[in-house]
Amino acid sequence: MMLALNEIRRGRGRFASIIAALSLIVFLVLTLAALADGLFFGATGAVRSTNATAYAFSPDAKGSLIRSSMTPEQVREVSSDPGVATASGVGVLLTAGTAPSGEYDVAVFGVQPDGAGVPTTLTDGRLPQPGENGTAAIDQELAYEGVAIGDSITVGTQSAEVVGVVRDSSYQLQPTVWTSLDTWRAMRNEVRPEFTGVTDDVNAVAIITDSGVTAEQVQSEVGDLTVLSAEATGLAIPGVEQQSSTLNSIIYTALAVAALVVALFFALVVLEKRELFAALKALGTSTRKLGAGVVLQAIIASAIGVVIGALASRGLGAIVPDEVPTLFRTETLITISIFTLVAGVVGAAFSLRRIARIDPATAIGGTL
Amino acid sequence: MNDDFVPAHPQDPGLDPAQDAGSHADAILKVEDVSKIYRSGDTEVHAVSSATMAVDQGEFVALLGPSGSGKTTLISMIGGLLSPTTGSITLAGTDVAALSKRELTAFRAERVGFVFQAANLVPFLTARENLLYVSTLQKRISRKEAHARADQLLEELGLAARAKNVPEQLSGGERQRVAIGRALMNDPDLILVDEPTAALDTKLGRQVVELLAREIKQRGKTGIMVTHDLRMVEYTDRVFEILDGHLTHVEQPSALAH
Ligand SMILES: Nc1ncnc2c1ncn2[C@@H]1O[C@H](COP(=O)(O)OP(=O)(O)O)[C@@H](O)[C@H]1O
Ligand SMILES: [Mg+2]
Repeated sequence: MMLALNEIRRGRGRFASIIAALSLIVFLVLTLAALADGLFFGATGAVRSTNATAYAFSPDAKGSLIRSSMTPEQVREVSSDPGVATASGVGVLLTAGTAPSGEYDVAVFGVQPDGAGVPTTLTDGRLPQPGENGTAAIDQELAYEGVAIGDSITVGTQSAEVVGVVRDSSYQLQPTVWTSLDTWRAMRNEVRPEFTGVTDDVNAVAIITDSGVTAEQVQSEVGDLTVLSAEATGLAIPGVEQQSSTLNSIIYTALAVAALVVALFFALVVLEKRELFAALKALGTSTRKLGAGVVLQAIIASAIGVVIGALASRGLGAIVPDEVPTLFRTETLITISIFTLVAGVVGAAFSLRRIARIDPATAIGGTL
Repeated sequence: MNDDFVPAHPQDPGLDPAQDAGSHADAILKVEDVSKIYRSGDTEVHAVSSATMAVDQGEFVALLGPSGSGKTTLISMIGGLLSPTTGSITLAGTDVAALSKRELTAFRAERVGFVFQAANLVPFLTARENLLYVSTLQKRISRKEAHARADQLLEELGLAARAKNVPEQLSGGERQRVAIGRALMNDPDLILVDEPTAALDTKLGRQVVELLAREIKQRGKTGIMVTHDLRMVEYTDRVFEILDGHLTHVEQPSALAH
């Protein structure tokens, strides 16, 4: 350990290069991850930040809230299925809403306040009460844009008074407005005149399952309806799965590059130190000790890289414009830090065989 | 290259090493009928053939021979860096050839002190840390003792003022002195020195060997120095001559005086 630490301390220049490379990779990975999380939560927040654990859709809807359409009978049927604790209708409308501060693209969600599919991320004010029409909770994004509690949001001739603010609840990158099913339907019927006269439909059913019951188990009870977990409902939103798998593969590639960079660096270091390692072995240093030193150096370099990369990424996050959906999650930071450390150790491990092969006998003599 | 190798005077044949070994029954180091054959493909190199020698506790002996005669191979086997093809080596009761690879690592750390041709110091450790490093490889000497011991050795080797310098800030002679200190650090049974003056000029070389001899004598240590330079043997007690892998004579240094 004495060797490994002193080498970093006295040979800073050389280690600065590997630390710089790792910092850049971590910066890239964290920034991409923030973007991936931002896009993912922006697209799926409305189904992830609620009390629903699953959603049921009409058979032809392919798991899409917008395409799905259901009758009150279907909602009641789902409620009575075994394994379902609560089930209630959800309505969705993508439209433009007007507030005193401007006009915004919004996703209006109609939910039953004492039912399922209700946001759990209230940050200010309150949610609409059961039986209360003409009120709404808005997503924090809208609050950032200048919509305040007490303002009213108008769609066509229908208005709702803002009574609360929730966070992380966007749908398809549009901020949400949470209101009663009746208020939602009134707005929907203005925007979509073909629904005129329809007074009791919903798009889908939000479900709170009994604990331990999975979406698959509910699916087997509901016949031809489609039941997806909240997570799967998010992924079923068009583009979401493709987007996150693209970004995730870039992230995994970058982490593999980190392992490769560390592997190459330590392969070079070990090559360069063959003679020294042979002498150290001749003096009685075990291969294990030399290997542990290299791994320790890799961990230190990766750890410093993680810290610098994380700070740089947060720094960038603070200056990117609000329209770029980035989300810095501690969970993601921890995962990526661990992955980077593992990549460093794996990279360094490639040098262990090389160290083991160094013959201490080569340290002595050399024929003159 | 044999340029500076001067063979022993034929009129003074010295002793046969095997015969000599017989008269050192209490020797701390016993090398008995040791051979080393290097094989690569079809070719065999008999680097050392049936070497028998004995060195007493407290003796500082030279192993003298031309380049390629098997000196390095022989002391590598004695120091547990190479295993002999046949024969046995006993150091203070330990059968070196019988040790496993792991045991050999510990054996080298605790029982043998090496001084290499090029000092081979750790470039990113100071002189003092180079000494302390080897003390971390053994358990007999405590940390506190090791610190005191390192300071004392540096003092004796005239390196007290250079203790905090890294090797690149030291001269060739100073580096070799640090290497001597490192070899003595763990209080080994045997000190093995391979051509310690190869990288130094004659005057510096003599100083280093003289210092080495003094340290070994003062501490009652046993040492073997490999050299092909006849001028370096005057600081030793006895000289073993080796030629083509065979130990040929054992001489008094005075008998080889030029
Ligand atoms: N690893 C090895 N493989 C094959 N031959 C070797 C090896 N090391 C030394 N030799 C040969 O063994 C002989 C003795 O070498 P060495 O012990 O290094 O001699 P010296 O130290 O006296 O110069 C030489 O002929 C040398 O070429
Ligand atoms: Mg040699």
